[in-house]
Amino acid sequence: MTEERPVVIVIDDDPSLRKAIDRLLRSVDLRVELFESAQEFLRSDRPDAPSCIVLDVRLPGQSGLSLQRNLAAANIHIPIIFITAHGDIPMSVRAMKAGAFEFLTKPFHDQDLLDAIEAALERDRVRRADEKLIAELRERFETLTERERQVMQLVVAGRLNKQIAAELGISEMTAKIHRGQVFRKMQAASLPDLVRMVDKPGITNIKA
Amino acid sequence: MESEKRKTGISAVGDRPWGTHLCLFYETKEDLLEMAVPYLKAGFESGEYCVWTIPDTLTRQEARQALNQILPGIGWHSDDRRFEIHSGRDLYLTGGRFDREKVKAAWNTKLAHALAEGYEGLRVVGDAFWLDESAWKDFYEYEMELNQSMAGRQMSVLCAYPLDVAGAADIFDVARAHQCAVAKRNRDWEVVETPALKQAKEDIARLNEELERRVIQRTAQLTAANAELRAVIAERTRAEAALHEAQAKLARAERVTTMGEMAAAIAHETNQPLAAIITEGESCLRWLVRSPPNLAEVHDAVTSMIGDANRASDVIKRIRTVFNKGAPTLAPLNIDGTIREVLVLMRGLLENHNVSLRVQLSAGDRPVIGDRVLLQQVVQNLIMNAVEAMIPITDRPRELLVRTQLDGSNGVQVAVEDTGIGFDGRDGDRIFNAFFTSKPDGMGMGLSISRSIVEAHGGNIWATAASPYGALLQFTLPAEVRSAA
Repeated sequence: MTEERPVVIVIDDDPSLRKAIDRLLRSVDLRVELFESAQEFLRSDRPDAPSCIVLDVRLPGQSGLSLQRNLAAANIHIPIIFITAHGDIPMSVRAMKAGAFEFLTKPFHDQDLLDAIEAALERDRVRRADEKLIAELRERFETLTERERQVMQLVVAGRLNKQIAAELGISEMTAKIHRGQVFRKMQAASLPDLVRMVDKPGITNIKA
Repeated sequence: MESEKRKTGISAVGDRPWGTHLCLFYETKEDLLEMAVPYLKAGFESGEYCVWTIPDTLTRQEARQALNQILPGIGWHSDDRRFEIHSGRDLYLTGGRFDREKVKAAWNTKLAHALAEGYEGLRVVGDAFWLDESAWKDFYEYEMELNQSMAGRQMSVLCAYPLDVAGAADIFDVARAHQCAVAKRNRDWEVVETPALKQAKEDIARLNEELERRVIQRTAQLTAANAELRAVIAERTRAEAALHEAQAKLARAERVTTMGEMAAAIAHETNQPLAAIITEGESCLRWLVRSPPNLAEVHDAVTSMIGDANRASDVIKRIRTVFNKGAPTLAPLNIDGTIREVLVLMRGLLENHNVSLRVQLSAGDRPVIGDRVLLQQVVQNLIMNAVEAMIPITDRPRELLVRTQLDGSNGVQVAVEDTGIGFDGRDGDRIFNAFFTSKPDGMGMGLSISRSIVEAHGGNIWATAASPYGALLQFTLPAEVRSAA
């Protein structure tokens, strides 16, 4: 699970500020992608790396707030740091309620922006790791047979092999074999490990 | 209008106005006395001068005695000058025949005499006992003329006719010549009103009534109209006050709006380059402290900063140009008239704040080349500042003086002086700087803009402390623009 270099996406229609932010972020070795509008960003390929968006509220065409809504609707959860020259309280409240990571007014202190970016990237890193793990677990879960899935449900519910055998109408030995297969296929080291995996959202409820 | 009524002394007739011409038909001298004496008595009692022409059947002695009986003292002496008793023949038949002009002239003389002696008027008892067939027509004419001539004069006449001289037709004629006739029927005196008089009286009564009704009606209408008018005036006064207030508000709102817009424009247009400059500067520091420092990045950053700073400066220049409306639209104008227009607009504001205005506009016809609207904005700014400086003042009069005069160099000088809080002398020229303000909600743009405008006209503006308190703002405008700064 190699971590790629994080990417900061900057969307601002002012070329000077875009360039300045780019220079600032490169000075701390961040990868930067610059866009002058929401549309340009949406047309681009999103990087497969921890990332965050530094987004101007007022943009020609689609506004920053509108982009934020559209991304949320498309289930894209890249953290957004808003920057604005005309920030007022209602606007920032709206942005924060809609899940903005931070709201900075121009001109901002470099450290404030860098701190916000660092925190946003960290959150995105966790999110991405989480998403990756879930995807892997889901793949493992997909390899289980119908019987193994039934057995797994009962195992995580704390049943003993004997009880599982009785409940499913199979021999205790067969139940034991299924149990071993579940642990092997799910790559679970222990029962608590397996319970944690099953608790992840979107794993067991696929076909349970 | 009702004319003054006189007592006739004849109860059947009652009170009648001056000019009343009565006729009396009598049979005996007792009948005559019964009517003539009270008639005369009423005249005496009302301060009138009385003339009695008596028939042959009555002696002067008898006549005087009759008067004396009811009015003790009257007629006692033969030289009593309060009345005259004449023999009818003497009076009517001078020269042996009836001459109606002579008789009328006699009455006129007596009336003039009565009034000259201070009597209220003339009261006459005439007698037609001497009439014969030949004189009837003439006498009738005389009666009609007398009737006419008495109108509007202080004279009343009772004409006595012995019934034996008058035939039925005569009586009818005679009665018509009088306003009413009195005759004895069945021992009682009866008044016979002539139809014309009756009609006239009725008409008068009716007209009076109608007039009164119309007066009442008209009065009511006038009262209503008056009240309405008063309401309209009050409404108008209110509307005018509201208008003044609205004008003042508008003027102020326009100014505030312009300032607010400009402030927003400055904030918006300069914030972007400033944000870029700051960020570039901070990047510079970061690239410099790297090891090794990346001087290429620093170089680029500084280059960008210079570009952004120029961009910000351009923005400010552009806004100033917009604010100064570029080059002023110059045209010859009369500064006094220009200022007067502003004063009209400011009147409401001044009234609302109890500011008394003194105006001394004496630039006369000296033409100034300038932009009317911009110069008005300057004057308006100065007046508004003055008013605002006087709002906190409560212990002395709030006085605003607006003055123009010719200056030595062919131009005009405008001064606005107030009795307000004044300004700190140390602030001197600073008060003309943009964003300098002494007001809690001030933008600090008014004087700055005013200075730009005045200087664009080639003039100067300065402020001094007024004596003993307040501020004196003055600016000059040259006769011709030297430069368009």
